[in-house]
Amino acid sequence: MSVTTVERAAAGEPAEAEPSYLTAENTISSWLLTRDHKRIALLFFASITFFFFVGGMAATLMRLNLATPEGLLQPAVYNRMFTMHGIIMVWFFLIPSIPTTFGNFFIPLMIGARDLAFPRVNLLSWYVFNLSGLVVLFSLVMGGADTGWTFYTPLSTSFANGYVFAAAMAVFINGFSSIMTSLNFVVTIHRLRAPGMTWMRLPLFVWGIYSVSVVMLTATPVLAMDTFLLAVERVIGLGMFDPTHGGDAILWQHMFWFYSHPAVYIMILPSMGVISEVIPCYARRPIFGYAGMVIALMAIAFLSFFVWAHHMFVAGISIYSGVFFSLMTFFVAVPSAIKVFNWTVSLHKGSISFDAPMLYALGFVLLFTVGGVTGLMLATLPIDVDVHGTYFVIAHFHYIMVGATVSAYFAALHYWWPKITGRFYPEGWARFAAILTYVGFNLTFFPQFILGYLGMTRRSYTYPADWQSWNLLSSAGASILAVAYALPLLYLGWSLIWGRKAGPNPWRATGLEWALPSPPPEHNFARTPTVTLEPYSYDPEEGSFVTQEGTSHAR
Amino acid sequence: MPDSAVPRPEIQFATLAQQGDTAELGIWAFLINETIFFGALIFTYFLYRNFYPHEFAVAAKDTVLWCGSVNFLVLVTSSLTMVLGINAAAQGERREMIRWLVLTCALGFAFLFVKGYEYYLDFLHKSVPIVAYEAKPGEGSAGILFWVFYWVATGLHAIHLITGIGLVLYMLLWRIRRGEMTPAYYTPLEVIGIYWSFVDVVWLFLFPAIYLVGRS
Amino acid sequence: MRFEVDPRRARPLPFVFAWAGLVVLGGAGLWTAFLGMGKWAPIVQFSIAAIQTGVVYILFMRLKGAPSLKLIFAVSGFFWLLFLYGIIMTDYSNRQGWPPSSVASPPVLETPAATHE
Repeated sequence: MSVTTVERAAAGEPAEAEPSYLTAENTISSWLLTRDHKRIALLFFASITFFFFVGGMAATLMRLNLATPEGLLQPAVYNRMFTMHGIIMVWFFLIPSIPTTFGNFFIPLMIGARDLAFPRVNLLSWYVFNLSGLVVLFSLVMGGADTGWTFYTPLSTSFANGYVFAAAMAVFINGFSSIMTSLNFVVTIHRLRAPGMTWMRLPLFVWGIYSVSVVMLTATPVLAMDTFLLAVERVIGLGMFDPTHGGDAILWQHMFWFYSHPAVYIMILPSMGVISEVIPCYARRPIFGYAGMVIALMAIAFLSFFVWAHHMFVAGISIYSGVFFSLMTFFVAVPSAIKVFNWTVSLHKGSISFDAPMLYALGFVLLFTVGGVTGLMLATLPIDVDVHGTYFVIAHFHYIMVGATVSAYFAALHYWWPKITGRFYPEGWARFAAILTYVGFNLTFFPQFILGYLGMTRRSYTYPADWQSWNLLSSAGASILAVAYALPLLYLGWSLIWGRKAGPNPWRATGLEWALPSPPPEHNFARTPTVTLEPYSYDPEEGSFVTQEGTSHAR
Repeated sequence: MPDSAVPRPEIQFATLAQQGDTAELGIWAFLINETIFFGALIFTYFLYRNFYPHEFAVAAKDTVLWCGSVNFLVLVTSSLTMVLGINAAAQGERREMIRWLVLTCALGFAFLFVKGYEYYLDFLHKSVPIVAYEAKPGEGSAGILFWVFYWVATGLHAIHLITGIGLVLYMLLWRIRRGEMTPAYYTPLEVIGIYWSFVDVVWLFLFPAIYLVGRS
Repeated sequence: MRFEVDPRRARPLPFVFAWAGLVVLGGAGLWTAFLGMGKWAPIVQFSIAAIQTGVVYILFMRLKGAPSLKLIFAVSGFFWLLFLYGIIMTDYSNRQGWPPSSVASPPVLETPAATHE
């Protein structure tokens, strides 16, 4: 039942005449009630881009405030800024980012299907996402929550002023969107693969989305229950986390991090999938160790469930429990390291072109490595006791979530831009933006490692004057980063109207998505392709490549 | 049976059989999520019952055992009637299918009715935290955690049951009236049946958790 | 008696027997609540619930003879819960100062049974 073969008798109608998914029908309701996974991907793209800029504005205000010890914002306002920045960036940008945009767009194309298994569930996921977005915007506009994005009890349940209930319910509703999307991907990848598309012939991006969907499906319900209990306790004034009735405030943290640690892997696994697509294409050689990469993705997904309390080493858990989690955290680093090794070896003897997607991908590998190694430092109990709750942690996770994930997001955006829109982006500007991102990012976040080591606590609106130069450096870097992130908006927008038109396979890549016109027709494949090869059949010496359905292309 | 009654598969599926199999896989994937959702709640129950056994035993004495038991019977029977309804659909027995589905709905409503009456009794027993609560002697301050669990768990369960009833009514009043749910394709009913039986399974765990604590 | 779960061929009687089994098991669980089994009571009762769940899953939700992927999906949720339960208990089972003794109730005294209607 895993094989789909669909034929459509296009009697007398040449394939080129078929309208693309963009032009097929252009009423508002044809977009808002669409079942086409490609249109839904664009709808999600609009939503998450909006939230990226909202979360970015909060970050801008934070860095402006931290440029000097005297600051800019009232302390209570600062607290609401970092809380909303975290909530919006995590749940309204990073977690949906690659899966709902590139996942939605490309999973059916890459496996040779005409749509996802449940197109209406896909559309519903977008509406539920926007509903949760409205709730979080309500919370933000009314003043925001000030508990940190982690909503720790008893602050969030009993003592916080601010719109904690709304923020928590926004997260609760958002979870349904995640669950619907991930369910769709899991079932689609199991059941709608084209003939010949065996599991070990799937592009690594598909494996990345599959592994992330398994994590989303199993981790999100725990967060849902946790936020629900939080909301109940906030409303009625007592509950499961209430120490005056024998409850444990740390239970909130356990259930929260049971989700939120896998959540950070939710944010990175699709990015790893993207990088595994980009590197072989721009190095013109197969990925090194395909099977190892697959096993690593699934191992990361699985092991991510065993490490959560490394966020809680100093929260008051049992020390033996802490030792267990520290050990498991060391283990989960191993498959990630294997992936970094394989990406690096995949460059060896390749014929590398430094186009924008490749620049973002190389930046990813370097920044992910720094983030990962500092994660190992944090996994070490004695070090964590010292730097927990400082800027060291903030720098670590921003290296992964911003340095790595957002770089991969931009790599995907540029790599697949011609396929999605049918236009080329201006390569010069894109390369400049990629390099500027790398410079701005490091300038923003590397000083934060030093600040954390020196002892600057996180979530604080001010700091001792001695540390101003590092903070100023970080804020200056943030301004460069802001420009680097705004540039793609400008030149990609420009390219929609004035960009050079792109053919089906401008990058000479091997995936099934490149066998279709750019942009693809509404129902993707007129005739289901038959897959005969594993992915990434590039030959760096000959300069030739073979697509997955077997078409050879010489130099 | 007219050809027009046989639906065509959606564009992404090659055959109706594939569409049906995929839909069933989809509901099972959703149930993974639901299992973990309720499982997390039941974990908090186990945790606190394990550490406050006396308090929980005292607090739980006020649960209305007859209501819980009747509701257990109602739900288990409704699972049976739902399955018999789906079997009837698959075998082309349209009138029988409708009869069993109506009975399933009725049993669902019966559950809600008994639950509603039980909530009223809980109010009289002063087992409603904050609203009308009186700690019983021996319950300490941890006993109220049992009642927080009770209201959250039964409330969420009721919401799921109402959703299930809504789905069955949707089937009866829309799809089945239009002539769907024939032996050619009845998977939507199967999917709802799986969901319904899951709601029954949740009660199978809530029943001992709520009603069988501290009875001896 | 072969229990045919395929709806196209299933007869009602086997399902009625399964229902009867569920009711009997439920009654047994109810009965154990009054036997004074102490800490064994929840273990027995939840084991009965697990057996009942197995009956509902395999027969009513038609996992009998289903493709193996469905079986994997059906079991996964419970499997994942084992991680949640087991690993969180590595903390609670040996944390110093848990449970907090200050909220424990005083020793159980011989109080006259309260009358509740």
